[in-house]
Amino acid sequence: MSETILSTEGLSKRFGSRWAVKDLNLDVRAGEIFGFLGPNGAGKSTTIRMILTLLLPTSGSVRVFGKEIRRHRAEILSRVCGIVEKPDFYLFLSAYKNLELLGSLSRKVTADEIFEALEIVGLRARAGDKVKTFSHGMKQRLGIAQAILTRPDLVILDEPTSGLDPQGMKEVRELVLKLSREHGTTIFLSSHLLTEVEAVAQRMAVLNHGELVAQGPVSELMNDGSSYFTITASPMEKALELLRRVSWVEVVAEGNGIDVRIDSLRAAELNRLLVTSGIDVSSFAAKRTLEDYFLKITEGASEV
Amino acid sequence: MSLFTVEIEKTYRRWRTYIGFAVILAAVLLLEVIIKLNEPQMSRAFSGGLNADFLISGHILNAWVITAFIMNSLYIHVPFLIALVAGDMVSSEATSGTLRFMLIRPPSRTKIISAKFLAMLFYTASLIVFFGILSVGLGLIFFGGGDLVKFQPGLPHIVVLPAHIAASRTGMAFLAAILSMSVVGSLAFLFSTLADNSIGPIIGSIAVVIISFILGNLPFEFTESLRPYLFTTYMGIWQLLLDNPIQWSIVGKYALALLGYDTVFFGIAYYVFVRKDIKS
Repeated sequence: MSETILSTEGLSKRFGSRWAVKDLNLDVRAGEIFGFLGPNGAGKSTTIRMILTLLLPTSGSVRVFGKEIRRHRAEILSRVCGIVEKPDFYLFLSAYKNLELLGSLSRKVTADEIFEALEIVGLRARAGDKVKTFSHGMKQRLGIAQAILTRPDLVILDEPTSGLDPQGMKEVRELVLKLSREHGTTIFLSSHLLTEVEAVAQRMAVLNHGELVAQGPVSELMNDGSSYFTITASPMEKALELLRRVSWVEVVAEGNGIDVRIDSLRAAELNRLLVTSGIDVSSFAAKRTLEDYFLKITEGASEV
Repeated sequence: MSLFTVEIEKTYRRWRTYIGFAVILAAVLLLEVIIKLNEPQMSRAFSGGLNADFLISGHILNAWVITAFIMNSLYIHVPFLIALVAGDMVSSEATSGTLRFMLIRPPSRTKIISAKFLAMLFYTASLIVFFGILSVGLGLIFFGGGDLVKFQPGLPHIVVLPAHIAASRTGMAFLAAILSMSVVGSLAFLFSTLADNSIGPIIGSIAVVIISFILGNLPFEFTESLRPYLFTTYMGIWQLLLDNPIQWSIVGKYALALLGYDTVFFGIAYYVFVRKDIKS
């Protein structure tokens, strides 16, 4: 097993009477991309803010590189780069100047290093342009350039694809993978998009209402044997009636399509059953939304 | 690059920083041109009833007299120009989100807030130095040099500072004005750590200056008892340095009071900042 690079023990944060994060135990290992999954408002950003010392925990502790963050703050943060919520830059300064100023807060950076980082994220040609002229996607890429520039051992990204178009999301995902593969950087990536975490992460933790729901390898968490599917068929009433009669099918919801939960190995069998019963199946698609995943794991799984 | 250098770069690369310089340039230029165009009337106004009792030779209106006159705007628009930048030092970064970025870098909050405070002091000093050089420079061009003649506040006599010491006294007065204005800057800086927007700290600090100034000048027993505790009472320290002789004990008392206010305002700002939960 790889060395633990980031861990939290009983980490909790209370705002007034509301617990934003409660008794959170995370374990992030060296070199991995760790997905931190949860719906909006689950407590992901609060957790990240506590890890990065922006918020003082109500209780619990954070250890990074084996050391308690509050006691060894400067030493730890010199090896960490974080983007909380969105990458914010000085809009009145150029991309180059931003990287120079912000990079210098960690260590002395050279012009060559700044240009190299901008080259990697495809912003070399815009180095002299003020950041206020940049699109959201370009700012995200500039944020990654900042991460590359300071050569951190751990990068913490909070919803890095939030607000991006599909092309922008793809570019950021590729940059994250590049950072991990080529620089060996450990990446802690928070997202509310299961597909995003699934596409890049080796391990993940799932947070809901401030509490840890599951933690472990993505492949194990995503394959517990049962899956959700959405079926669109005609006539719908007949399909629904049939599905309700089959003992190994659980009808979860009905609307434009019928959402069912079955053993994923029996999907083909169910499709065949519908067709041989005279029902036209126009689509039979696995549902991979976070909401469905939560439905699945909150029904029993906890710590893997 | 030191944190202080980073803060200076950020401060002086913003157009807002130059509003103060532009306003001072316009105000001083306008005032001196108007005085020059109306020199005879202004001379009579400046000399008041002195012509009746004194024989005045040469120009009563000169660079030092004009500068001392213009320095009174230290009570009017200069505090606003200082608050404009000082009230923005922390809050604008909280609004834009760059404060988050700074606070997750290795430098401690103590170092960050100290660097910002020093940058604010540097801006205040640069604005006052610019004000001084401009007032004296334009004054020398338009009116030339001469003795500094002024009424000594609170005393029934006039002060005549010979030309050879008027320059050094004016320089000392501007140095004292930096200390005086640093208190306005410190107050706006403190408010800046309390808010996540820039308007509140700027307006709030100016409101405090105005209210404090009004309270300090009301002729009532109660408001007079408040006077020693109002920082605006000590903001006129620069005027003491144009008196003859200089009452150093009062200058010292005023300087200590102003430094005390600077320390208290920064102390509170520091306390708030290092304990602040960054939620936005």
